[in-house]
Amino acid sequence: MFEKILIANRGEIALRVIRACKELGIRTLAIYSEADVDSLHVQLADESICIGAAPSSESYLKIDRIMSAAEIGDVDAIHPGYGFLAENPHFAEVCESCNIKFIGPSSRAMQAMGDKNAARVFARKAGVPVTPGSDGIVETESDAIRIAKKIGYPVMIKASAGGGGRGLRTAHNEPSLKSAFHSARHEAEKAFGNEQVYIEKLIVNPHHIEFQIVADSHGHMVHLGERDCSIQRRNQKVIEECPSPLMTSGLRKKMGNAAVKLAKSVGYENVGTIEFLVDQDRHFYFIEMNTRIQVEHTITEEVYGCDLVKEQIRIAAGEPLSPHIAHATPRLHAIECRINAEDPEKDFQPSPGRIDFYYAPGGRGVRIDSHVYTGYTVPSHYDSLIAKIITVGATRMNAIERMRRALGEYYITGIKTTVPFHAAIMRNGEFRDGNYDTSFIERVMSSGKLDLKSPSIRLRE
Amino acid sequence: MTLLPKPTYLDAQPLTKGTRTLEIKEIKEIKAIIDLMEKHDLSVFEIEKEGFRLRLQKGPTGPMAAAAPPAVIIPSKALTGGSETTSAPPKPIESKPLKEIVSPMVGTFYRAGSQDGAPFVDVGKTVTEETVVCIIEAMKVMNEIKAETSGVIAEVVAENGKPVQFGQALFRVR
Repeated sequence: MFEKILIANRGEIALRVIRACKELGIRTLAIYSEADVDSLHVQLADESICIGAAPSSESYLKIDRIMSAAEIGDVDAIHPGYGFLAENPHFAEVCESCNIKFIGPSSRAMQAMGDKNAARVFARKAGVPVTPGSDGIVETESDAIRIAKKIGYPVMIKASAGGGGRGLRTAHNEPSLKSAFHSARHEAEKAFGNEQVYIEKLIVNPHHIEFQIVADSHGHMVHLGERDCSIQRRNQKVIEECPSPLMTSGLRKKMGNAAVKLAKSVGYENVGTIEFLVDQDRHFYFIEMNTRIQVEHTITEEVYGCDLVKEQIRIAAGEPLSPHIAHATPRLHAIECRINAEDPEKDFQPSPGRIDFYYAPGGRGVRIDSHVYTGYTVPSHYDSLIAKIITVGATRMNAIERMRRALGEYYITGIKTTVPFHAAIMRNGEFRDGNYDTSFIERVMSSGKLDLKSPSIRLRE
Repeated sequence: MTLLPKPTYLDAQPLTKGTRTLEIKEIKEIKAIIDLMEKHDLSVFEIEKEGFRLRLQKGPTGPMAAAAPPAVIIPSKALTGGSETTSAPPKPIESKPLKEIVSPMVGTFYRAGSQDGAPFVDVGKTVTEETVVCIIEAMKVMNEIKAETSGVIAEVVAENGKPVQFGQALFRVR
């Protein structure tokens, strides 16, 4: 087992990894930017090293400085969290060559699945259904037009090096295809340094359902069921639940087996997630694989009774899959709401700044994964996620009512947060019926039916 | 209450008009005040009496303007954030705030170019922007660090052979 781990991340996930390390008796080294000097993960780690100025490109993305910190900190392994360098095969390679264990898959497996277009090829080879689309990169506008015609509109143009919902454009007809093709390439070049795109059929109002994979280094792989992440705003997940209200045991078996087959075909190790779209007729299509721990891993943990981050560390240390994970079965229902420092009344404008007062809900079945506290200043340089609230219940309705209750106790002042937005969704009829797809948020927001002004608690000043 | 790393004390700027030298008793009083501030986690202390005004403020790097004359300079103890740091011994009262040469990278600080070599600079050495002041070794690569300021080395802050982090003070220059 490792003696010391460097956490190459920040915010709530850095705290999550530190917690897992502490429970395993592993010493922790936090690296941080100048903007994160007061961050909770820096305070709680055994050691910390400042690696650069606030912008991510000057700090959390600086591979040389992270490796330097790893060297002077004399660590055995690095946990990359999610985002930043978590899916950077070059970083994984550098760790490998420095004899520091990268907690995740091999750089080879990461490379295979990281190229979204190549991943589709692997999927087809493994007999996993993929959305009808181009057979590879679409190089020219005329190719795009020809392929889109063949697939049939509407289509989606996707960046091959993309992820996180970026580098995507939709087109419903030929004129819009031309501009979508060029703007997708442009965004891909700027965001990922690679303008290559491919084209897929746009599944109308799908459900986004993903499967959790866990594999050790001895060839043993299982799936831990699905998460429904259809509640999205501008391709960013907002609310996730496990299990999916749409799922049947038959479909779960089919999709789970397909996910395992695909991950096995690239020799995948550690944790990962296979994402599918499911259409109105319950046909499922592979879209991409995330070769890292995900934000919403928490709901799988609550339903399947496991600690996925600890398991990541154990697997990386060469241990076989834990029996409780190898034989995990789902019990209970869990929902996660991502609390962002954004103003839902002003089109989710970012709201960084000092949190004057912070009180997090508690009680049975409530879990909070957050790095913020009273007096903490949310920096403006990074993503706006400040907390994840997870509720567990015996049934889906129990979990929803519990979330509604807990959000009513969640008191964060000094900045704007999306707490009232989530509270409104918990009261929404369609959501409560489990009747939603990826178009839900847009429809509900434009209909003006969401009442964002409902008060939560009022504490006496 | 916020969770803060070790504090950095500031130098107060002297005013050129109407200054007078401090008496030993006053220096001792000011030092006692600083200790009390540290002990009770106070960030600002201000006192005004008999044509004398004093303001002491805790905070990050950078000089801070003092109040009306006569102004006082306080001895400062500077530590950078994070648990793996080196601390400087308190320095004698100066007449002008010192500039800091800080680390632009993460690595190990060496005062000389080789094991038994002479240090690049010592206290009292005059430096220009281009003067190499030390080596920071990162991932087996020896990086020569330039002063990027001019003046005279007043203090060697970092410890030879010890790790330094980004932004950590290496030298102080007058």
